[in-house]
Amino acid sequence: MKNIVMKTPFKQRLKMILAETVTQIANYAIILILSLLVGAMVIYLTGKDPIAAYQALWKGAFGNWYKVTDTLDRSTVLIFSGLAAAIAFRTSIFNLGLEGQLYIGAFAAALVGFTVKGLPTGLHVPLCLLAGALAGGIWSLPPIIFKLKWKVPVMVPTLMLNYIGILFTSYLIAFPFKDPTAPMAGSPVLEATARLPKLLRGHTLNIGFPLALAAVFLVYWFMFRTKLGYELRLVGYNPSFAASTGLPVKRSSFLAMMISGMLVGLGGSIVIMGFFGRFMGGFSVGYGWDGMMISLLAQNHPLGVLPASLFYAALANGALTMQSTTGVPQTVVVMVKGTIMFFVTVQIFSSAIRRRFQKWTSTSAE
Amino acid sequence: MAEAIAVREITKCFPGVLANDKVSFSVETGEIRAIVGENGAGKTTLMNMLYGLYHPDGGQIFVKGEEVKIPNARAAIEMGIGMVHQHFKLVPSYTLGQNIVLGIEPKKGLLIDEDSLVKSVQEVSGKYGLAVDVNKVAADASVGEQQRAEIVKALYRGADILILDEPTAVLTDMETEELFVMLRGLANNGKTILFISHKLREVLAISDNTTVMRQGKVVGSVKTSESDSCKLAEMMVGRETIEGRMRKEDPEIGAVVLELKKVNVLNSRESLAVEDVDLELHSGEILGIAGVDGNGQEELTEAIMGLRPLVSGEILVNGVNIANRTNRQIRESGVAYIPSDRNRAGVAVEAHVWENLLAGEYYIPPYSGSINLHPRSIHSNACVLVERYQISTPGIKTQTGHLSGGNVQRLIVGRELGSDKAMVVVASQPTRGIDIAGTEAIRKILLEYADRGAGVLLISADLDEVLALSDRIVVLYEGKHKEAGPVVDGIRLQVGHLMTGGEGECPV
Amino acid sequence: MDFDISRIITLSLFAATLRMTTPILFATLGGIFSSHTGIFHVGLEGLLDIAAFFAVVGSVKTGSPWGGLLYAIVACLVASLVFAFVHLELKANEIIVGLALNIFAGGLTNFLLVAMLDSTGFYQSPLIKGFSQVDVPVLKDIPVMNELLSGHFPLVYFSFLFVLIVYILLYRTPFGFHLRAVGEKTAAAEAVGINPKKIRYIGLMICGTLCGLGGTFLSLSYLNMFSEGISAGRGWVALAAINFGEMKPLRSLVACLIFGFADALALRLQQFGLPSQVVLMLPYASTLIVLIASAISREAKKNAAAKQTKIGGAAEAGA
Repeated sequence: MKNIVMKTPFKQRLKMILAETVTQIANYAIILILSLLVGAMVIYLTGKDPIAAYQALWKGAFGNWYKVTDTLDRSTVLIFSGLAAAIAFRTSIFNLGLEGQLYIGAFAAALVGFTVKGLPTGLHVPLCLLAGALAGGIWSLPPIIFKLKWKVPVMVPTLMLNYIGILFTSYLIAFPFKDPTAPMAGSPVLEATARLPKLLRGHTLNIGFPLALAAVFLVYWFMFRTKLGYELRLVGYNPSFAASTGLPVKRSSFLAMMISGMLVGLGGSIVIMGFFGRFMGGFSVGYGWDGMMISLLAQNHPLGVLPASLFYAALANGALTMQSTTGVPQTVVVMVKGTIMFFVTVQIFSSAIRRRFQKWTSTSAE
Repeated sequence: MAEAIAVREITKCFPGVLANDKVSFSVETGEIRAIVGENGAGKTTLMNMLYGLYHPDGGQIFVKGEEVKIPNARAAIEMGIGMVHQHFKLVPSYTLGQNIVLGIEPKKGLLIDEDSLVKSVQEVSGKYGLAVDVNKVAADASVGEQQRAEIVKALYRGADILILDEPTAVLTDMETEELFVMLRGLANNGKTILFISHKLREVLAISDNTTVMRQGKVVGSVKTSESDSCKLAEMMVGRETIEGRMRKEDPEIGAVVLELKKVNVLNSRESLAVEDVDLELHSGEILGIAGVDGNGQEELTEAIMGLRPLVSGEILVNGVNIANRTNRQIRESGVAYIPSDRNRAGVAVEAHVWENLLAGEYYIPPYSGSINLHPRSIHSNACVLVERYQISTPGIKTQTGHLSGGNVQRLIVGRELGSDKAMVVVASQPTRGIDIAGTEAIRKILLEYADRGAGVLLISADLDEVLALSDRIVVLYEGKHKEAGPVVDGIRLQVGHLMTGGEGECPV
Repeated sequence: MDFDISRIITLSLFAATLRMTTPILFATLGGIFSSHTGIFHVGLEGLLDIAAFFAVVGSVKTGSPWGGLLYAIVACLVASLVFAFVHLELKANEIIVGLALNIFAGGLTNFLLVAMLDSTGFYQSPLIKGFSQVDVPVLKDIPVMNELLSGHFPLVYFSFLFVLIVYILLYRTPFGFHLRAVGEKTAAAEAVGINPKKIRYIGLMICGTLCGLGGTFLSLSYLNMFSEGISAGRGWVALAAINFGEMKPLRSLVACLIFGFADALALRLQQFGLPSQVVLMLPYASTLIVLIASAISREAKKNAAAKQTKIGGAAEAGA
C-alpha cells in the first residue's frame, strides 16, 4: 500500500489502531477484574478468605505441571464447543443445540469405538472422530432445514433436540448398548485402538489438545481466508445486503449450522475417546453452554476462543482445588462466569472506553 | 373567513441542508389547501413541524390567529391539528373502530366499553359522512377504508385542521374520487384541509388554493381555479435552461444493452406497482428515470436485479432474458446495482471496508482460487479502489459504519463499477443524502462509466440530477412509463409536468 | 411389559395432565405478555429456576407456602427488572440477555443452594412447607369430575384461572390494548401517545410475576424440593406454546395441554416399564412436532390466500 494516498495521516491511523487495542485490552481487563471482585465479595460474604480462595484457584489450574496439562486437557472440548458457537453466531444463527449435538457426536464416536474391532489405531481413531463429527453435524441439521423450508424459527428446535439427543443417548446406553460392568450408566469400553494416544506419560493430556489447536487455526482460516467463510460472515452481518449482492444466503446458513454441529460433535468424541474410554451418561457438565459463553466472550472470533477456553478450563480446575482446600464452593465460579456473561452482554465498558478515545483520535476524515 | 393556520418565516435546518427557508403562507378555515413540490422541496418537514414532530429553528406558527408552539404530537392534537401520514399508523389486527379510539378508549369500569366505542365512532363518522365499518379488521380493509379510518381517527380527537401527506398515493381512481367528496364535505363543515401531493391533476380537482414549494422555499400560492397543470409544474420545477449540465454534448450511443418489455411487478401489498413498462437502454447512454418516490421505482429496480419477481414481461440484457433469474446470474450477465438504501442493501455496516469492496467478485480469480481467498490481490484491489474512488477512510480494515454516507456510496460505486465489467448500471437514488463533494464525485463517475460504453439507468427523484446527467428521460408515474425525450431546452418543464401526472405538452 | 391401554389412559392421567400443564402454562402466559410487546423472552427458563429456588427459601423462612410464593415473585420481579434494564436501556440484544439470564440464574441458584441452604444439587427438607391439595366443595362429590377437577393444588386452579384473567387483561382492557399495539405496530402506538418503553417494562414485570407462580409450583407442589435444573426446559417449551398459539392465551393453552399430557404420559409409561429415557422425550418431541406443524400450516395459509390487502400507505420500501 505504499503508493496509496490515504486521506488520514499516518499518525492518526496509528492512534486509531492503538486506541482500539487499548480499548479491547481495557474492556477485558475491566470485565475480568470486576467479575473476580464480585466473586471475591461473594466469598467474603460466606465468611471465607477471598485471597486464599483465589490462590487455591490459581494453584488448582496451574499449580504444577500436572495441573497445567490437566487444564489444557479440559480446555479441549471447550475449544471445540466455542468454535462451534462462534461459527453459528457469526452467521447470525442461534444454535443453542450444542449440548445435544455434543452427546450425539460423542456416542457415535464411542459406537465406532467399541463395535469396530481389529483396526490399527492409525485408522480407528480417525474413523471414530469422523463418525463423531458427522453425527454431530447431522444432528444439527433438522432445525436449519425446518427454517429454510417452513420458516420455523431456529432456536426452539435446537433446544428441543438438546433434550431429545441427551435422552436418546442415555436410552442407548441403558438398553441396547448397556455395559453392566460400567461404574455408572455407560457404554461398553472402547477398543484400545480407539483411544486417543497420550502426549505425555502420566498425564491425561492427549492428542485431542493439539487437534483443538489445529481446529482453532482451521476455523480461523476457514472463516477469514476462504470464499465460503467470507460468505458466512457477510450473511451474518447483513442478510439483505447479502441477497442484494448475490451471496448465497440459504447455503451459508445451512453450512454454518452443519459445521457447528460437526465441531462440537468432534469435541464430544474427543472427551470420550481421550478421557473416559467409554460413553458415560451425563459426561458433559455443560460443555455446550460453556462454548456459547466462550464464544460471546471472544466476540465470536475463533482466535479469541482459545484464551477464553483456557480461562474457563482454568476456572473449572481451580474451583475443584479451591473447594477442597478452602471449602469455598465451586458454585462461586459459576457466579463469576455469570457476571462475566452479564458484562459481555452489556458491552458498556467497551463503548464507554471508545467514547473516551474519540476525542484523542478525532477524525477530521469526514 | 377566519384564518385557521398560518406560518410566517418558518426555517428549519438539518445538518447540511436547509429544509425550510423562511416559509410563509396562511390558510383559511374551510379551505382545502394543496402543498406541492418535488421530493426534497420541504413539504413533509413543514407538515411535521405543524404536527409537533419537529421544531422550527426560526419563524412562527399561528393557529386560529394565535401564535403557538407545538412541542409534540399531543400538543398538536389538543390544538385541533390532526395528521394522516403517508404510511398509515393502524394496528393490523385491531378493528377500524378500535384503531380510531386507540389511546382514548371509552371505559366501563376497568374494561373497554365496546358498545360505547362503536357508538361514539359511528357518531363522528356519521357527522362528517365518512362511512367506516367499525367492526372490520384493519388488515382486511381496503386502502381507501383504512385511510377513511385514519381521517376519522383525527376527527374523533377533535381535529379542525387536517393534514394529509400524499393521501392519493395509494388509492385507486375511484377511491380518490370518494376521498375528494369526503374532503369537500369536511371543508364545507368548517374543517381546514392541508394536503401534500405531487399529483397535480388531483390538486387541480380538489383544492381551493395551492402553495408550491421548491428547495425549501415557497415559490408562491395561487388560487387553483386560476391555474393549470403546466403553470403549477413550472412553479414546481422551474423553466430555466438546464444549469449544471454535466453530460457531454455528443455521447457515442450504440446498441441496446438493456430492454424491458411489458414488465409488470407487484408491490408488497399485492397490487401492481409497475405496469406494462417498456424501456430501452443503449450502450454509452444515460437513461434517466424521473419520478417522485413511490411511483414504482423501487419495485422496478428490484425486479431488474432479481430481488422481486415479475408478474409478466421480459427483461433482456444483451438479448438474453434475465427476468426472474437469481441476483448472481443477473450480475454475471453484466449488470451492476447501486441500491437506494445503502445501509440496508448496499453494504454490511459492521464489515470492514475491504470486505464490502470484495462482495461482488470474491469468488473469481484473482481474488480467490478454488477454496481460498487471495488476500494480496484483495487488499491491493481494495487500496486501488479506495484511491480511485477517493473513499475517505482511515484504512481498508476500518468498519464501514464509521464512514460518512458519501464515502459509503463511493465504496458501493467502487465495488460495482471498479472491475469495469458491467455493461448495465442500475443506479437508484445514487446521491441521496450525500454531501456536495460526494454528489459531484458520484455523478462524474457515472458519466465516465457511460463514456466507456456502458448503459446507465439512472433512477432519481432529484430532477436536477436527472437533467444534469441524462441523455434521455423517461418518467415513471403510478407505475406507468412516459417518454419525455432527449434532454433539450424546455425539457425541465415537460418532465416536471409528466412527473406530476400531467398529460400532453406544456407551452414552452 | 403389560401394555394394556386401559390401564394407561385413565382418568388419573388426565388429572395428572392438568397438574403437569400448570408450570408450563404460567411460563407461557408470562411469555405471552413479553411477546406482545415485541420482546422474544428467552430467559423464561431462568425465571422459573429462580422462582423455584426462592419459593423454597421463602417457605422455609416463613413456614408457609404462600410466603414462598411471595419470595418467588419478588425474586422474579427483580430479575425481570434487570433484564428489562439491560435490554431496554442499555440496548443489549434480547436473546443474548435472555441467555445470560438463564446462565446467571443457574449459577446463582447453585451457589445460593450451597450458601443459604448448605446443600448441593438439590434441597429437600421437612422445613419446606408445600401447598396441600384442595378439595373443591361441590365437585368433590361428582363421580367422574371429582377425580379430574378436584383435589388439585391451588396453583393448578390459579393457572387456568389466569388464562381467563390474561385473556381479559389483554383483549378487554385499555392496558392490554395499548400493550398489544406496542408490539404489533409501535408507530401506531406512539402516534397516539402511548409510551412503548414504559409498556415494555410493565409487560416484563408481569411476565416475571407469572413465571414466579410457575416456578413456585415446581418446588412447592409438584415436588416439595428444589433441584438444579428443575425447570427442565419448560421455559423453552413455553416459547413453542406461544408460537403455536400465535400469542393468544386460549390457543397457547391448547399447546400447553398437549405438552402437559405428554409429560404426564411419560411418567405413566415409565411405570409400565417403558424405558424412561424414550418416554421422557415425548414432551420435547411433541413440542418440535407442534412447532413444525404450525409453521407448515401458516405457510400453506399464506400461499393459498387470495389477494390480501395489508396495511397500506405508500409501500414502505418505495417511499
